Parts: sequence; structure tokens; C-alpha cells
Amino acid sequence: MPNIEEKAGDGKGEIRATGIAGGRKSSFFELRGSISRQTTLLLGMLGGLVFFGIWELGHILTPDSSKRFLPSPETVVSAFWFLLTEKGYIYDIGKSCYRIFGSFFLVCVVSVPLGILMGCFIKFRALINPTISAARYLPAASFIPLLLVWFGPTDTQKMALLFLGVVFFLIALVLDNTKAVQKELVEAALTMGADRRRVVLGVVVPAVAPAVIDSMRTMIAVGWTYLVIAEIVAATDGIGAVMMRAGRFLKVDIIMAGILTIGILGVLTDLAFRLLAHYAFPWNRER
Amino acid sequence: MLSHGIANAKINQRLFNPKMIDNQNSNGNANSVVISVNNVTRQYLGGSFTAVDDISLDLRENEIVTFIGPSGCGKTTVLRMIAGLEYPTQGELFAYKKPIVGPGPDRGMIFQAYTSFPWLTTRKNVEYGMKLMGVRKDDRRARAQQFLELVHLEDFAESYPASLSGGMKQRVAIARTLAQNPRVLLMDEPFGALDAQVRWEMQEMMIDIIGREKTTVVTVTHDIQEAIFLADRIIFFTRNPGRVKADIRVEFKQGKRIPRKEDMLALPGYVDLEMKLFAMMREEIK
Repeated sequence: MPNIEEKAGDGKGEIRATGIAGGRKSSFFELRGSISRQTTLLLGMLGGLVFFGIWELGHILTPDSSKRFLPSPETVVSAFWFLLTEKGYIYDIGKSCYRIFGSFFLVCVVSVPLGILMGCFIKFRALINPTISAARYLPAASFIPLLLVWFGPTDTQKMALLFLGVVFFLIALVLDNTKAVQKELVEAALTMGADRRRVVLGVVVPAVAPAVIDSMRTMIAVGWTYLVIAEIVAATDGIGAVMMRAGRFLKVDIIMAGILTIGILGVLTDLAFRLLAHYAFPWNRER
Repeated sequence: MLSHGIANAKINQRLFNPKMIDNQNSNGNANSVVISVNNVTRQYLGGSFTAVDDISLDLRENEIVTFIGPSGCGKTTVLRMIAGLEYPTQGELFAYKKPIVGPGPDRGMIFQAYTSFPWLTTRKNVEYGMKLMGVRKDDRRARAQQFLELVHLEDFAESYPASLSGGMKQRVAIARTLAQNPRVLLMDEPFGALDAQVRWEMQEMMIDIIGREKTTVVTVTHDIQEAIFLADRIIFFTRNPGRVKADIRVEFKQGKRIPRKEDMLALPGYVDLEMKLFAMMREEIK
């Protein structure tokens, strides 16, 4: 985005340009500061390499008799490949994705409108918020027996658990996002003659949208936790079930491949949300 | 002359007839009362804090009125009640002899905080108010262009507010509000967040724009110099409780609006008024 200066310049730009590290040797521990894209990428990869290095080292240092309990990164990757090619793992991944995205979609359908309405209308908030706040303190895992009785070991049961685990938190986040919308934006719209419907749909919704996408990004990560819990307890398919089965036979490499899969899917989901935010809100891109 | 009611439809009829805009105030009914504040009291915290205590004011057409006073003197509260964003606990406010029951585009408001919508380009921001009024697309576009030029933002029509400076964001808000052709322009410390130099540029721009648009203006400020520069009439508020301490007509400008600030500073009478207001402010903060 072009950096537009006030006609005669207000000076702020120049101050920032010289910054904290301006003219001085740049240090690794420069406070805040800015870095280039390449450096970001390089440092990120370096961090990853260190992680795998430590893992590899741990594997090497483990006595041979116990090595199977800490397989090397290569073993895990080849276990992942084995799962994909020989065990129809893609079906399990698909199943898990269906459960998490399906239920998260429902979570969003419920909590985004509810959170925004609660943020806009104080009486609505007073009516609903106490109940929802209380519900947030119920551990979702404690619903498993109940859900099993109601739905059996079905997809519905798993998705219901995921739903219960995430929905109350997302409502709270969206409510906070909505309350954080600058009051003057609403008042400006009112003085221009906007009615309530237009204030909510035309001002509050666009104003809060980027923050809501961020909240969704945070909460879908929590969704993965409940997915695995659901699949570990009573499932025959899905990533969690594969891991649980491998556990019974002490196949640590398969378990770790499962964890790796979830990690990769998590990163991809995160990326998808970032891209969505980037292209949906060109006005809000990081500058 | 069409009565400028609170109803949107009427404003619309008026809005795109340039002749009528030009003639808005030259029909001999100048100086009729536009806003009437009648024995208005506003209390908070269940009556334990009185922000505004039994204030009565008449604001006349074409006047630029400045509310000034120490922090917490209720000047912003009165402005917000005129806007319809707040309600009096006692008394009544009228716009063109009709009771004020809520906000409306006949009373445009500029806030100290930047209120240009970040998800709209400058042009779309300026069009927003007109869109609410149901103005046709072509008319909207043409009039937005006109007001973008008025606030010198035509080169930034397709920029988002995030890439604009504070002064420019405030100009977007001014253009957006004026494009609705409000009968009264309310400004709540509109330049309070700006640098000193940008602030006086904006003050001079306002004098220019108000001169062209012939709008009645009520502006709230802390800044004595700004108050004198903009105002035909200065209303000094006192606090605890909020009352009118003085209602001063700026005589030394002899009814003129001076486009350059230094020209005003050079006028005889300026310093006297500034000292008088300073003295009043000093009394308040003691």
C-alpha cells in the first residue's frame, strides 16, 4: 500500500523511518523493529531445523533397546507415507476434516450472529450472557458419556462434542470483538441517518469482520483438541482412531505420524484463514 | 423555500438542486432560530452528577457558534443532545421548532475520533451518507467528486483510510457529512487529535467551506484561539454544574470570516478577547 504523507508532512513518518535501530548496528535483540520477508522465512526455517535437530539428537542418544519409543523424524515421515499409501489414511484424514470443518461451520453459524447481536444489544446480552458464561466453565469432555448415550459412537456424537467445546468460547470472543468496535463509527452512522438494521449490517458487521476471522482462527485450533479427544474415545476411523489403534501395538512412529498430520492440517487451516482475511479485507492488510 | 424537516425525503429534494443550495440562506429568513435548547438539564449516575444544569440557548441560522470551557463543563453533552445522541433528563431541545427525538442527517456531526469507515475507500465513504438518503448512484458520484475536491482529497479517492493521515481522515469525515447537506454541522473537538500545523490548516479550510456551504455550525473546542478564529459567537461553559458562563459575540471581526489565521491575529480586538477568555478559563481551573 502506498505510504501517503500529509501535504507538508506531519513528521511522524520520518521519526518512524529512523526507528530504534536507525544508523546503529542491527542486533538480534533489537526491540520490535522490522525484518524483511527473506529474514522471516530464514529464521522460521532455522527454528524448525533446530527442533528437528534436537529430536534427531534425542533419537541418537536413546539406547538401542528403547529407540522404538522415540523414532527418528525420518521414521515418522516414512510411517506417514506408509499410512497414506498402504492403509488408506487419506480416508481417515478426510473423515477427521469432515468432522472438524462440519462442526466448526455450525459453530460459526451459531456464535458469530449471536456474538454480534449480544455486542450490539445490551438487553439481548443481559438475557443470554450469564447462561453462556456459565456454560464456558463446563468441561466439554464431561459431555462425552451423555453424548454417547444420546447419539452412540457416531459422527454426530463427535461433532456435538466439538461443537460444545468451541461454541461458547467463540461467542465470548465475537462478543468482545463487537464491543471493541469504535463507538464513534456507530454514532457517525446514526447521525447520517442510518437505522438500526443498517448500523448493525452496514457498520458493525464490516467493522468487526477481521477480528471475527481472527477469533475463528484461534478457536479452530481448539477444535482440533476436541476432535482428537472424540476420536480417541469411541471411533473406528479418523486420525485420532488411527493413533489410538497404533498405541495399542506400541507403534510410536504411527502415533507420531498422526500428530504430524494434525500439525500439518493445523498450519494449512491457519494459512487458509490468513489468506481469507488478506483477500476479503484489503483495507485491513498489515502495513 | 422548502422546509428542511428531519424527514429524509425532504432533504433529498433539496439536496440535488444546486440553485436551492446556493440560495439556502439568502431568502431573507437569515438569523431565524435553528436550534433551541430550552431549560435543559442532563444528569448522570441517577442524578448524583449534573453535567448540564438548566441551560437555554438559541442558535441562529448561518451562525458559527463555538462552545468552550474547561473539561467536564457539559459542552460536549449539549452538542450530543443537539445531535440526538443523548437525551436531556429535563427540558427540551428543538431543531427548526420540532422536538429533537434522535439523530438525523439534518444535523451532521464530526467527531474527534476518526470516523471514516476503514472498509470503504475515500470516495465510498463520502457517498455513504448520500446512499443512506437514497440518492441515485450517478448523483452520488458527481456530488462526492465535488466534495472530495472541496476538501482537496480528489487524488486519494480510491485510497482506504488506513493509508491516510489523521488530517486527511478528518477531511473525509467532513466531506461525507457535508455531502448530505446538513442544515446544522456539529463538530466535537474535530481537530483535537491533530498536530498544531495540520490543525490550523484545517481551521482555515473550515472557514472556506462554511463560507461556501452556508451551514450553521456548532463546534466544541478547548482551544481559545480556534474558538475565536472560527466563531461568530462564543459560548463559555462553566463546570460543576455545567452552565453558560458567558455568551460572547465576536465583535472585532465585524461580521466577517477571516480566511487567514494570521490576518485575524493582527486585528485590533483579538488580543483583548483572547485575554478575556483566558481569564475566564483561569477562574474555572482555580
